[in-house]
Amino acid sequence: MARRNPIRDRVAIVGLGSTEFSRDAGGRSPAALACEASIAAIRDSGIAREEIDGVVGALEPGAPRPSQLAAMLGLSSVTHHSSPMPVAMFGLIDAMAAIFAGQCDTVLLYYAFTRAPWNSRSAAQDPFRRYLAMNTGTAKPPMPESMDPSAAYTTWASRYLHEYGASREDLGLVALNMRANAARNPKAAMRKPLTMEGYLQARMIRDPLCMLDMDIPVDGADAFVLTTVEKAKAITKHPVVIHAATAGMVGPNEEDQLPSLARHGQHVVAEALRERSELWLEDVDVFFPYDGFSIITLGWIENLGYCKPGGAGRFMREHWDEKRGAVMIDGRVPMNPHGGSLSEGASRGTGHLREAVTQLRGEAGERQVADAKTALIGCGGFFFNSQGAILRRL
Amino acid sequence: MGASVDDAELVDRFPWVQVTHDNKHLFRGWLDRKLLIDRCDDCGRFHHPPKPICPECWSSRITPTEVSGRGTIHLAMALHQGAPAPGVDYAKGPHPVVAVDLEEQPGVRFSSTVVGCDPSEVEIGLPVELDWVERYGSPFPVFRLREGAKRGGKG
Ligand SMILES: [Zn+2]
Repeated sequence: MARRNPIRDRVAIVGLGSTEFSRDAGGRSPAALACEASIAAIRDSGIAREEIDGVVGALEPGAPRPSQLAAMLGLSSVTHHSSPMPVAMFGLIDAMAAIFAGQCDTVLLYYAFTRAPWNSRSAAQDPFRRYLAMNTGTAKPPMPESMDPSAAYTTWASRYLHEYGASREDLGLVALNMRANAARNPKAAMRKPLTMEGYLQARMIRDPLCMLDMDIPVDGADAFVLTTVEKAKAITKHPVVIHAATAGMVGPNEEDQLPSLARHGQHVVAEALRERSELWLEDVDVFFPYDGFSIITLGWIENLGYCKPGGAGRFMREHWDEKRGAVMIDGRVPMNPHGGSLSEGASRGTGHLREAVTQLRGEAGERQVADAKTALIGCGGFFFNSQGAILRRL
Repeated sequence: MGASVDDAELVDRFPWVQVTHDNKHLFRGWLDRKLLIDRCDDCGRFHHPPKPICPECWSSRITPTEVSGRGTIHLAMALHQGAPAPGVDYAKGPHPVVAVDLEEQPGVRFSSTVVGCDPSEVEIGLPVELDWVERYGSPFPVFRLREGAKRGGKG
């Protein structure tokens, strides 16, 4: 079954800007990082500042609002601005829809990340980050039993191990893949080699997930410039366009009420993406499964259809490139060549999006996948932020 | 007791959650050591967390209904670190957290900890029953492994 997808290949990503991702950006604020990435992206696009008439910025804690960024960048005439929820594709989908609908022509899409006092010891020492702890909505910290998304991924990880007889090594392969790939990414926060032994000895945080199953909090920013394919073609002969993109959700979607591992947001994404796309797995040159938690990556591998439910560990072993120390599907398709959220840093999918565009432009240096034309991104997790996109180079 | 506590005091007694018009019955029930799960008067289906309407049939005739608190562990983890709470000492050992499929309607789950056993005994599939402890001066619902639940058992 095909679904209508009038936006297919109509919106291009023509500008990329990124800071490095670090566990300590010194005294730089998320606003400073957003400015750096945004200016880099606008310059990279070759589009004049005056032509930026859309500003979309994810509601990341501490990140500047679109109005604040527009003021800092001196944008003179903005006709579309919005703050979608975090995880990268919500912003991408909003920006592309606004351009396609004619709300604006050229969008600056940005994301800024800052380590919070509760997830980084050094951040807890920084008085300028105290405000991040103020607005949690409740007077006391949540109870240990609160099923917030981060805790809930661990419970579904244990459910996964239980249902499929999978092992912690299956999760560990995800961490190993990301770390080996990050070694070739100068922007990555974690580049020290990792072995399975090292993974299994890592500090347990929420059993069965250890610290290496969880993405690494960083300071950093990513920015993108999107515009119409017509405008993009005037800039470059082979622009990178969004072929299909979607969010996906089921009900119930509360963390502990999700029906099952066999039916959640990732399945909706996979169906919608496939039915809107002329390209599918056999066309994909580079694969970007989200890895905020290692269990999410196993889900994407299976639910996008690379293998059967419960088979992701075996799949990774079968497609493991010993020399590389990472997955190479059919010897040619890497998985998160930039190192993902686990090793590049917790950018909630913006690193995946940036690397996808970088690969399709052929600018990934020693990480470059030969003649990469199509990228598949499975972004977000199981509950209410599952998303996906297929990007291609025209 | 729950009935005698007015809305303002109710909100004050549960500062770590957002008490709302839709879920206030749940927390009033805790004060009486009753686990009240929303049930639809029209179609009889339970849902959780509390919602203003029945997601099944859209009826707004919802009655918070006491459930047995018996069920089966569907999700489980052991926190080696986490949010602080009275009686929770991560230095002494991991703190178990479970989502329990309630026997009244499997698929509707209630999440809490498991007390009265070694954390390593907590496993998916084991039968549990409800119990209550004190947290910040109010009753707090927890689970206990049911009689006969053994390590490796499948409930
Ligand atoms: Zn109903």
